[in-house]
Amino acid sequence: MARVVVDPVTRIEGHLRVEVEVTNGKVSDAWVSGTLWRGMEKVLVNRAPEDAFWVSQRICGVCPISHSHASAQSCEDALGIKIPNNARIIRNLIEAAQYLHSHILWFYTLAALDYVNPVNALNADIADTYALAQAAGTRIADFGAVAARLKAFVENGQLSIFTGHEGWFGVGAEKHPGYVLPPELDLIATAHYLEALELQAVAAEIIGIMGGKFPHQMTSIPGGTAFVPTEQKLDDVLFRFTRVKEFIDTALIPDTLAIAPYILDAASFGGGCGNFLSWGVFEAEDLDPYNRYLPRGFVEVSKGLTAQEVGPDDVTEDVDHSWYDVPSGLNPKDGQTVPKFEPYSTQGKYSWGKAARCKGVPAEVGPLSRMLVAYVNGRPEVKSIIDDTLAKLSKAAGAQLQPTVLVSLLGRVAARNLEAKVVADWSIAWVLELIEALKGGDSSFFVTERADSGQGAGLWEAPRGSVGHWMTVEGGKIANYQVVAPTTWDIAPRDSKGVPGPMEQALIGTPVVDSERPLEVMRVAHSFDP
Amino acid sequence: MAQEAHGALHDLLAVRGVTRRDFLKYCGSVAAMLGLSETMAPQIAAALEGAPKLMPALWLNGGSCTGCTESIAQVDTPDVATIVLDYLSFEYFETIMAAAGSWAEKNITKRAEEGGYILVYEGSVMTGQDGNTLFVGGGPENEGAKKGIEILEEAAANAAAVLAIGSCAVDGGWIAGYPNASEATGVAAWLQKKGIKTPVVSMPTCPVNPEWVVAMVVQLLLVADRDPAKFLQVTPMVEVPYNDPVTGEKVTLLMPKAIYGQTIHDNCPRRGHFENGEFVTELGSKEEAMGYCLYKVGCKGPQTFTQCPVTRWNRRASWCVESGAPCIGCGGLNWVDNNSPFLKRMSDMRIGDTFVQPGTIGAAVGAVAAAGLVLHGIGMKAAGRIGDGPPMEEMKAYDRKRLAKKGGDK
Repeated sequence: MARVVVDPVTRIEGHLRVEVEVTNGKVSDAWVSGTLWRGMEKVLVNRAPEDAFWVSQRICGVCPISHSHASAQSCEDALGIKIPNNARIIRNLIEAAQYLHSHILWFYTLAALDYVNPVNALNADIADTYALAQAAGTRIADFGAVAARLKAFVENGQLSIFTGHEGWFGVGAEKHPGYVLPPELDLIATAHYLEALELQAVAAEIIGIMGGKFPHQMTSIPGGTAFVPTEQKLDDVLFRFTRVKEFIDTALIPDTLAIAPYILDAASFGGGCGNFLSWGVFEAEDLDPYNRYLPRGFVEVSKGLTAQEVGPDDVTEDVDHSWYDVPSGLNPKDGQTVPKFEPYSTQGKYSWGKAARCKGVPAEVGPLSRMLVAYVNGRPEVKSIIDDTLAKLSKAAGAQLQPTVLVSLLGRVAARNLEAKVVADWSIAWVLELIEALKGGDSSFFVTERADSGQGAGLWEAPRGSVGHWMTVEGGKIANYQVVAPTTWDIAPRDSKGVPGPMEQALIGTPVVDSERPLEVMRVAHSFDP
Repeated sequence: MAQEAHGALHDLLAVRGVTRRDFLKYCGSVAAMLGLSETMAPQIAAALEGAPKLMPALWLNGGSCTGCTESIAQVDTPDVATIVLDYLSFEYFETIMAAAGSWAEKNITKRAEEGGYILVYEGSVMTGQDGNTLFVGGGPENEGAKKGIEILEEAAANAAAVLAIGSCAVDGGWIAGYPNASEATGVAAWLQKKGIKTPVVSMPTCPVNPEWVVAMVVQLLLVADRDPAKFLQVTPMVEVPYNDPVTGEKVTLLMPKAIYGQTIHDNCPRRGHFENGEFVTELGSKEEAMGYCLYKVGCKGPQTFTQCPVTRWNRRASWCVESGAPCIGCGGLNWVDNNSPFLKRMSDMRIGDTFVQPGTIGAAVGAVAAAGLVLHGIGMKAAGRIGDGPPMEEMKAYDRKRLAKKGGDK
């Protein structure tokens, strides 16, 4: 039995600490800790309700769009505002651009280095690399040039962002046994890593065009949108969505399918609590959250693959193991924020994160949750891509895989990339929908009428999971504001009953081959995109 | 210049497919960014070619949202892969580095001992709860963990220079907005309090504009030969006095003049509509479709000193005003308190616990603060720049009426 700590967990947004107990080569217990507290909710109190749209999105520089939309919705819910149809489509487009940006960035820039060894790519045979790329149906790049660039970089002796990781990648006996891809696949993935840096930026340009800038957009102001499209802007947006979709079709999806057969063991651990929450995202014309393109629902796998209804009143937050001096079990509508640090103890308090609970139990949020909820609801685009992928992986595994296999590390990784494909396809259709609406003469983008008091919630989905903003407005000023961010759900510490949070449960049972280099712990932590 | 005369760095670039033409073009864009003549390009190129190795750099995240890192990922002058592989050797950069845990942490200590690096700091300096609002590292039960402020001090003390990027690193940003429960502050004030003399360049806006950061990196590396004293000599700076409420320090923030020397209003493409009295009075309206001025819906462009309309955002795809949104002044000091409510024009400014009207601020705090905050809309020359150029423009009828109304246009 040994304690192993990873702090900082790098390649994420923010500050995360993971402490695990390893017994006989497997994680037997885990504590996940948020190590930063800033106090967003307190900053918002007593300001104009609209201002929360600009300020609250700055809680996260990787998913600010989703926070901005949840904030705008909480304001609109509180003050009785119904946004115009054009604003609905434009918000969907800005949100979609962030999903595509975020998922591409996550897979290639943040997570890939847990699987892909760029140093090993130097051993690749260039001709074999082209042959493999063609066989896998993945994007052809100038693999020779990428190899030359890598070689010069490694030979220079300054490893930049790879400093300190040479022992993990390594060569010969020092090589971490978890890096199992053939050098040709490492080279393909490295080439696409570099291309992905370009494509994530192209996706973000869409937000720049419609939202003013990314990160931290400007236009989805409570009441609708400040962005009035011109023909040129629409063309700029459509062109970029098309480019990004092409990359997802020709790199992200085939790369996922090419790498998966080498890490099929990841289907046997990392599943976690088995409860999946989605608030729903991408608003349909009727503004019904159960009818969103990715619908609202709550799936408890132990009770079968069906989705229950779920709403803002089902959420509570415990603080028994968090550094707050407030009561446990409050609904965010009545939530309080009073920080009080005391020494870190895995027996006592060990996180700045509160323990968010849905219907009293831990709930995983993120693409896997959304895809599962959409799947059990029979959303056709989601059902067909999951069934197709399961069929392909079944062939590689030599066994018939059931949808429940998704409740695993492998499933969580795959679900994110499949979702990127679904959203990319929809995004093109939504640009055309907007063009049709404008051609039909709809020139309404913003409504100004609103009440000056009320209570509301904005429940939405960031790329990394469910985001909820609760706002109480009295006399035109914010009286209370609470945010339950995606990471609040996934990295939640133990609750009042001592039940570990979703990432903690997912870590328990994870094999650790080398406790000095706990690569598998990084893989599970990263799979949540925390 | 003969090929063999090129320095090691250019050889590195050549093998990575960067042609001499690309290289000079890049140097030209750097020169333009710095407000220098493009004829400087060969000198910049010569400086770059002489550099023997990549300059080591540490990138620290304090109380951040990682938005400034995200912003840097959106740059193409050059792109982020080139910066990370070919220009700077980032030995610590939480968001993109391969290593984790102690494998990563020891890089900071090692580099701090060796010196010769630049420190890029993103996010606020978290001093609340005795510095425990941010901690990193350590073993089981947090044994040996360091506070964020300790890591900053260790990394800053021996750095050649610090780039404090984004509003959070400059003055605490939104986190320092009232009531600043986590006692967030900026890098310059904290280092001054701790007696650390490393020069700090402050680069506000939320997030930072990546093209500006790249320009400063290149300025330090290439034009100033990595010498911080020379860097300060050759880079014209605006000196902004700032009284930091958390540390009690009076600091002089250094901001590159080429970027923070003029207001958004000075360079705004909608400025013509302002002069014509053509305003958007309702967001997303037909006036917006005509590209009218956003001043009446709260635009803080007249009081915000940044180069946004020139550089724009997201690889020059657009910027806030172009997309129809009034500027919220995220490049100003204490921007959340000073500029909210964002949709109201120069009203309800918050100083600590009290709300005051801008006219009062101008009278009470004096010309320097007023220049940074307000008054600009009723006369560009009132904004601390009296004495140069043509006389002040006439007060607009709208402003006359507004100022005559008791309490402003709430």
